[in-house]
Amino acid sequence: MTASDRHVRVLVVDDEPQIREALASVLEDAYDDIDLAASAEEGLETAAEHAPDVVILDLTLPRMSGLEACRRLREWYDGPILILSVHEGEADKIAALDMGADDYITKPFAAGELLARLRALLRRGRNEEPPLAEVRVGGLCVDIPRRTVTLDGQPVRLTPMEFDILAVLARNPGRVVTSRALIQAVWGPDAVEDTRSLRVHVMHLRQKIEPRGDFPRYILTEPGVGFRLAEAEPSTSN
Amino acid sequence: MDAKTVLAESRRYLLAVAAIVALGVVLLPARGLAPSTTFMLLFVPAVVAVARLTDVRVSAVAAVAAFLTLDFLFVPPYYTFTVSTLAEWVALAVFLGVALTTARQTDRLRQRQEAAVARRRELELLNRASFRAVSEDSPEALAAFVVGQVRDVLDAARAALYTGCGSSPLLLAGDGPPECEPDESDLVTWVLREGKAIGLPPEAVPLDQRPVAVAAAVAVPGSTARGAYLPLQTTEVLEGVLVAVPSHPGAVTPAEARILAALANLSAACLERLRLEDVASHAKAVTEAERLKSTLVASVSHELKTPLAAATARVTGLLQGRTAADEGRVRTQLAAVVQDLGRLDASIRDLLDVSRLESASWEQRLEPFDVREILGTVLAREPADLRDHVRFEAADIVPEVLVDGAQLARALANLIENAFAYTPPDTPITVTLAETPGGEVEIAVEDRGPGVPDTEKPHVFEKFFRGSSAARAPHGSGLGLTIAAEIVRIHGGTMRVEDAKPQGARFVIVLPAAEETQK
Repeated sequence: MTASDRHVRVLVVDDEPQIREALASVLEDAYDDIDLAASAEEGLETAAEHAPDVVILDLTLPRMSGLEACRRLREWYDGPILILSVHEGEADKIAALDMGADDYITKPFAAGELLARLRALLRRGRNEEPPLAEVRVGGLCVDIPRRTVTLDGQPVRLTPMEFDILAVLARNPGRVVTSRALIQAVWGPDAVEDTRSLRVHVMHLRQKIEPRGDFPRYILTEPGVGFRLAEAEPSTSN
Repeated sequence: MDAKTVLAESRRYLLAVAAIVALGVVLLPARGLAPSTTFMLLFVPAVVAVARLTDVRVSAVAAVAAFLTLDFLFVPPYYTFTVSTLAEWVALAVFLGVALTTARQTDRLRQRQEAAVARRRELELLNRASFRAVSEDSPEALAAFVVGQVRDVLDAARAALYTGCGSSPLLLAGDGPPECEPDESDLVTWVLREGKAIGLPPEAVPLDQRPVAVAAAVAVPGSTARGAYLPLQTTEVLEGVLVAVPSHPGAVTPAEARILAALANLSAACLERLRLEDVASHAKAVTEAERLKSTLVASVSHELKTPLAAATARVTGLLQGRTAADEGRVRTQLAAVVQDLGRLDASIRDLLDVSRLESASWEQRLEPFDVREILGTVLAREPADLRDHVRFEAADIVPEVLVDGAQLARALANLIENAFAYTPPDTPITVTLAETPGGEVEIAVEDRGPGVPDTEKPHVFEKFFRGSSAARAPHGSGLGLTIAAEIVRIHGGTMRVEDAKPQGARFVIVLPAAEETQK
């Protein structure tokens, strides 16, 4: 815990008592207030009452689904939402992300990973427009304000479109960005969802920054979901 | 007998008499050249010829006609039926006796020959039919054959074969216009219910034979159907009904009935055989499914219970410690518990994947992918010590594949994790990507482990198969390769295992290229 951690309130919405309890015991070491809700309805009510700083939302809930809860929450709530999901249901994950959820984590998960993701979400939430001036991943360095990219110190020439795509990924290092979110961020909110041309741009981008002939190390494909930039330091373990 | 038949019958008699009289007229100019007995001799072959061509009644009439012709034209006094001498009387009487006897003998001979020919045809037919009866592998094919034979051999106007599905008849095969037999389905239903034949001549139904024949009108009041309906009776059940409608007027003849009865017996035996085979294969499939299920249950409970038991033992051990355990020991134990739980999660995930793949409920989202992309994703998810072992070799340009990326990622992860489990420490896992000469995409994962013995190669992708060298592999539900192979299969690809060059196993996936798949 760093000194910058102010008073933080976390809301957990999950219908399984074991998961709620486990989450509570993991979270109470790191955060001041933990609210637990057993259903979407209860969660929405608690959220309205306590205005949490971050919401952890399970997707499979009785009656009202987590997806619907996410949609209703987003009508007024602009804090980060972290989705809990099981292995199946890629479609649900995408839908939740597209509906305004900020990240997802798959059950079962390690406490360390959960806390790391919460920290990342809260960091971004706190700094409003994150002045993520420079993002470094391995030998790749993306300078967002200057719109320049270097690979092992050598400048890389990107087209404006390629840079925009890389910048969106770089602003969310380690997090999946859905194809739709990428398209809307680069082409504008009214853009037609054309994953094919997005893939072509990503392919060109990869040709410029990835090791030639090898498998990609920086821009990773999340099949069926979207893309993500590899994490800066893969040290989420303990 | 209707008027038409009477006419046809009397024509045969008239023709025979006319022929004999004509012979008399032809021989008339030679009357003075020889004694009347000579002419009597010449008439014998004529009567024999009639007997050969017709039956005994016509030839008897011909013999009498010859007797009268001889008396009238060749025995003095001419042109009267009186006979002058005793010798002539005796000669004429002997002629009549000889003519009648030869006619009868010839007729018998002819009948015997005809019967022999008929028997031979019958035998040929039955021979053919019994050969087919053992080789046909579906009731429909057998029925089509039998119906064809009835139509060809008996020249039947219509033939059909029904099975008795419960009590409602099911037409297996039918040939010939159905309108020539108005009450067919009602009559078939009756036969199925009663087990008796319809429309067979009484003489064609031997006393010891079970089906008792009735007339169509007895079965279905008011029916004018002419066809023969034979129950296909085996020792146990009624398999169906054979229907034959003759093309000639009237009911089927005794000879036809005999052939039909033989065909019916054969069809019944064959249908029974097919039915029993079906039952047997179904029973076998059920047994096999049961066996698989019990293997599955045994294996599943083992895979789920082992890590659970280990974790429970460690945690309860920590809880029961009288004195506070030192922190180092607690951490070691908890780290082991985390591993056990990871193994449990992997097993559950495998089982879920298998059931989703088998029930085809894993909805595919096909997209074109460069295999490199998927590989990057897979390796990014693996722990660093595994990732460091992987050597990647690829041709510069490899076609894309049209796949569900998440599924292919799963297949590749399973292969790479399998290789990692078998390859000795500090040896590489080599992943190669290439285009085959046929334009397909080939992905190979190679380890330096003990390899797969030839005897085990065909079984490697079977559920829960564990190779003889599996001891080293610490985790895995025994389903990883099955899942990988199944995923490759549903993408229209193939998967095989071969020996790696110095040593080790080489798993090869071949997938169709995207352009091809999209066509």
